[in-house]
Amino acid sequence: MAQIVLSNVQKFFGPAQVIKDMNLTIADGEFVVMLGQSGCGKTTTLRAIAGLETVSSGTITIDGAQVQDRRASDRDIAFVFQSFSLYPHMTVYENIAFPLRAVSMGKDAREQAVREVADILRITPLLNRRPSALAGGDLQRVAIGRALVRRPKALLMDEPIGSLDAKLREEMRAEIKRLHIARGSTSVYVTHDQIEAMSLADRIVIMHDGVLQQVGRPDEVYLRPANLFVAQFVGSPVMNVSPVTLDSGVVLPGAAQGFSFAPGLLAAVPQGTAVQLGIRPEAVVLAQSASPGHLAAEVTNIEPLGSHDIVDVRIGDATLRARTDSGFIRAAGQPVWVSLEQEQAHFFDRASGLALRKAG
Amino acid sequence: MASISLRGVTKDFGGNRALRGLDLDIADGEFFVLLGQTGAGKTTTLRIVAGLEQPGAGTVMIDGQDMQGWNAATRDVALVLQQYSLYPRLTVRGNLEFPLQSKIRKLNAAQIKDRVDKAAATLQITKLLDRKVERLSGGEMQRVSIGRAIVRDPRVFLMDEPLSALDAKLREALRVELKRLHKELKATFLYVTHDQVEAMSMGDKIGVLNKGMLVQVGTPSQVYDQPCNTFVARAVGSPPMNLIDGRISGGQVALGDGALPVAGPEGRDLTLGIRPENLRLDTGGSVSGRVFDIEDHGVVKILTMQVGDTRIHATVPARTKVALDEDVRFGWVPEKVVVFDRATGVNLAV
Repeated sequence: MAQIVLSNVQKFFGPAQVIKDMNLTIADGEFVVMLGQSGCGKTTTLRAIAGLETVSSGTITIDGAQVQDRRASDRDIAFVFQSFSLYPHMTVYENIAFPLRAVSMGKDAREQAVREVADILRITPLLNRRPSALAGGDLQRVAIGRALVRRPKALLMDEPIGSLDAKLREEMRAEIKRLHIARGSTSVYVTHDQIEAMSLADRIVIMHDGVLQQVGRPDEVYLRPANLFVAQFVGSPVMNVSPVTLDSGVVLPGAAQGFSFAPGLLAAVPQGTAVQLGIRPEAVVLAQSASPGHLAAEVTNIEPLGSHDIVDVRIGDATLRARTDSGFIRAAGQPVWVSLEQEQAHFFDRASGLALRKAG
Repeated sequence: MASISLRGVTKDFGGNRALRGLDLDIADGEFFVLLGQTGAGKTTTLRIVAGLEQPGAGTVMIDGQDMQGWNAATRDVALVLQQYSLYPRLTVRGNLEFPLQSKIRKLNAAQIKDRVDKAAATLQITKLLDRKVERLSGGEMQRVSIGRAIVRDPRVFLMDEPLSALDAKLREALRVELKRLHKELKATFLYVTHDQVEAMSMGDKIGVLNKGMLVQVGTPSQVYDQPCNTFVARAVGSPPMNLIDGRISGGQVALGDGALPVAGPEGRDLTLGIRPENLRLDTGGSVSGRVFDIEDHGVVKILTMQVGDTRIHATVPARTKVALDEDVRFGWVPEKVVVFDRATGVNLAV
């Protein structure tokens, strides 16, 4: 178990910079998920922590010791890949025990360690099988078992369940979380799947173009995105974003009227700043009839998803997506009245994309 | 514009029967989605309508006309595939013009330009017309390949998973666009997908296909609220409908350490279906479960609960505070329970 600290880490592949001035502290026992699209630098960061990749500059410390110049095998870290990479000619038992042979552990201690890990991962009945006789989920359990058996300082995982089908993914996700709670090992997990990140992480690290965008608890990242990229990367359907003017309420482009906002909610927006409004579909509220504080709009599309509907409404030149109960709006073309959950509105600086928020 | 109807269509590939007497009716101007897993026969159906495959038995009618002996080129249908298959060396305009330059179309240059410009405007790709295709993004390429179908002004649009290769955000945007396009063109769309979200969100009607047979046809809400059997119940909705085996006694079904109210025939083996959003966490609920997994969607959380020896999904508001391995109590909305016969899986209400 260990604290991991990255300070001013830069990484170049030739002229391309894939990690830009990364600073990140991962607490002892924490489960951190690095989330981003392919090519954002998340896997490179993970591999740099593991020692599978050198860094161009900056330092990486594990438990207070600088490790950026140490070999992977000297960092006492375990790595789980998406491809299971087990030894096909060995049994499950031998696969899990393999890392212990390297550290010359006694036979009894070895057996005890393997059995303990197998027990946690519920693969004890499989110990005498070969990998070729196992299903995908079990293969990944074995790979995780092999990573954990040495009791490494940290467990690094690169999309470990990305190749499994949806049902198994759910199952394995729950197990990885449970395993983390049971063992308390510092874990760093890379994925492009926001649901996986939200479900597993103590804190999520969102990366884009090699730059760390936001670090925060899942609800923080969802409810208080630091910038437009995070706002539109996390959440489905995507957060509505539109430029607005703030002269008489919050006015969408081409709209005759604005949404009136309590003055306190706009206090974080400096006078004269060009801003974008961000509002999640669940914070766009529709009504069947005119009522105070609501703007008239037209329904342009309805996506019935069974458990709820996503309804597109046009106000001026902007379209907002709203999440409603299923069947709430009967047909497209229908007039509708729209209001916003003001507390859930976000304002972003149009030039920088940064969220404008009151301090504290 | 045209209706499509298939009668008793069968297709074998070697010893493998891909379609087993398929009957299918698609009305003129309808957006019809065929939903099925890999191997269900949906692409085969589409290719038979297109004339790219010949049915082993049965008839295919377009606009009331038997298509036997008509090849793909003369059926006047357009096909959009997951792979864009555009000409990389040509500009967007070149790609859109290409299907119109065929001699059989007898169009002059002005007519071609007119059609291309109109299609480009519809798809909002006018600005891209002079670009080489290889310089486009995935979403733009898929728009161009849809454009290439539109310019021909076909009677029927056949689409085979056109959005599958795109990322989630783009898929979201193009779903809305395809629906708008359908409304504008008023053409018949036959759209094939394995993605139930696409089927629900776009289809006027959904046809659920399993092993070469049509299991249910209905509007999205019919298929979602009243699935005709347990297969459809699991195929539509994410997470899928919970299916619980039980018997009704005294208007209740035993579940875990308690019982929940339900209306249905008493004393016979049933499977009860309940959607995750129709379960309610409630400290006074009559059944308890242990939280096995929490899937955080931001707007909602989806809990997996271990209840006795079954796992049950429940959708709860995002602000619900709940931890892994916590014991919770819950109830359900009794009128939302769907009752299936256990042996056959058939919905007893339809």
